[in-house]
Amino acid sequence: MTHAPARPRRMSPAEVRARLGEPEAMIEAKIRDRIDDYFRLFIAHAPFLTLATADASGRADCSPRGDYPGFVKVLDDHTLAIPDRPGNKIADSFRNLAENDGVGLLFLIPGLREMLRVNGRGYPTDDPDVLARMRTEARTPELAIVVEVAEAYFHCGRALVRSRLWDPASQALAEEIPSIGEIAAAQFGLDIDPGLLERTLQDSYRKLY
Amino acid sequence: MQQMQHTTLDHIEQIAEGVVSLVLRGTTGPLAPWEPGAHIDVALPNWLTRQYSLCGDPADRDAYRIAVRHDPLSRGGSEYIHRFLRRGRTLDVSLPRNHFPLVPAPEYLFLAGGIGITPILPMLRAAAASGVPVSLVYAGRSPATIPFADELLSLHGDVVRIVATRHHGRPDLTALRSALRPDALVYCCGPAPMLAAAEATFPAERLHVERFQPVTRTYAPNTPFEAVCARSGRTVQVPPDESLLDALTHAGYPVPSGCREGVCGSCEVTLLGGEPEHRDDIGAPAGRMYACVSRAQSPQLVVDL
Repeated sequence: MTHAPARPRRMSPAEVRARLGEPEAMIEAKIRDRIDDYFRLFIAHAPFLTLATADASGRADCSPRGDYPGFVKVLDDHTLAIPDRPGNKIADSFRNLAENDGVGLLFLIPGLREMLRVNGRGYPTDDPDVLARMRTEARTPELAIVVEVAEAYFHCGRALVRSRLWDPASQALAEEIPSIGEIAAAQFGLDIDPGLLERTLQDSYRKLY
Repeated sequence: MQQMQHTTLDHIEQIAEGVVSLVLRGTTGPLAPWEPGAHIDVALPNWLTRQYSLCGDPADRDAYRIAVRHDPLSRGGSEYIHRFLRRGRTLDVSLPRNHFPLVPAPEYLFLAGGIGITPILPMLRAAAASGVPVSLVYAGRSPATIPFADELLSLHGDVVRIVATRHHGRPDLTALRSALRPDALVYCCGPAPMLAAAEATFPAERLHVERFQPVTRTYAPNTPFEAVCARSGRTVQVPPDESLLDALTHAGYPVPSGCREGVCGSCEVTLLGGEPEHRDDIGAPAGRMYACVSRAQSPQLVVDL
């Protein structure tokens, strides 16, 4: 006799807190309310971050941002700016920010286990002095996201150690995934040459700005 | 890839408000020789490459000296140097290039504005050593923002005039022109308004300028063209929305690049045929073009790649 798989049990917040215990005081103390010199140094060397936003109803979204190290500009001790490079034009982040200005950032530096987390309030800008600092390959972005920093802290590296994210041997994992052209052809049931899709995508990667 | 030289940052020091000077020592021996007016590309740890004029002594083959002003609108070059570079850091630099060479003349007038003093420093020294009359007019906002003032006054005090523009206004170029013999050469490096004033005052054939920023101009809309790579026999299509530099790079030709806006000269390509449309601020010599900005007037260019 077979049963439909049961939905996993939902815990109450009190149960979760009881199971995990109270956070250590040191962890709470490491959270700062400004971008100090060490955070600045980290941001100046980070070529990648994830940007989390949510709409008014709580529908959440996380999107990647990447460029040369230091592409996120520290405008002052309380303010960052993230360039908006050409992407898929879905603009989920901007749609969310219009309803709910909460943002969560996670910065990564290749080879480094520890991460930087910054939380705050975000809004879009076209301030020419901000955009001028983001000009790359003779192109200036149309928009940037300004983040008013509420919290900043270094996140311990256990997740990166466990995931072996920076271990070159880990890159063998990529070989297990079919090309995105093959996947797209299958997912959308397209009667199209996956190689052609792949080449089209490769071509689009030639123009990054 | 262009040939790079390994250096170690031996000294970094603030020499004026917002200006640091750096001494880059050859890590594995003497550095490539250079002439006054030359600049190098500096490859920064944050993947950015920036151009800086050499402002030390060309006779010193062990080290290059550069000076960098912190640009408040920095995209990450000058800001990185000012905030994060520390003594002992290794830095790769290009071979020196010179678009601003000192041509023999019976008299020289040097005009420098702010950090534009850097290429002028070794030029002034060389010109003075040649025994002909020389003078330097060096403008900066206020005394605290003017780098190398002491060095200039102690070495060439009798021919140097330093003008703090906040208190004394901009130097009167017309008066300077009337004091010069007609075959004197004028070398100018500084902010755009100073270059424009120099261009309005001195005849073009007597004036040499060095730009750190491109001039804003408008061009006819881009048209597509073909680049025939003579050595490999391949033809690369350059669409209207792509630069020749990007098209060549994407086709697998490793053309070096620096500023990507036609001022540094890193991406020089040898031209074997076709009509180029030069859009750089360097002044491409015959048979050369700068692939980052320049395009074609003819449907086809033949390049030596």
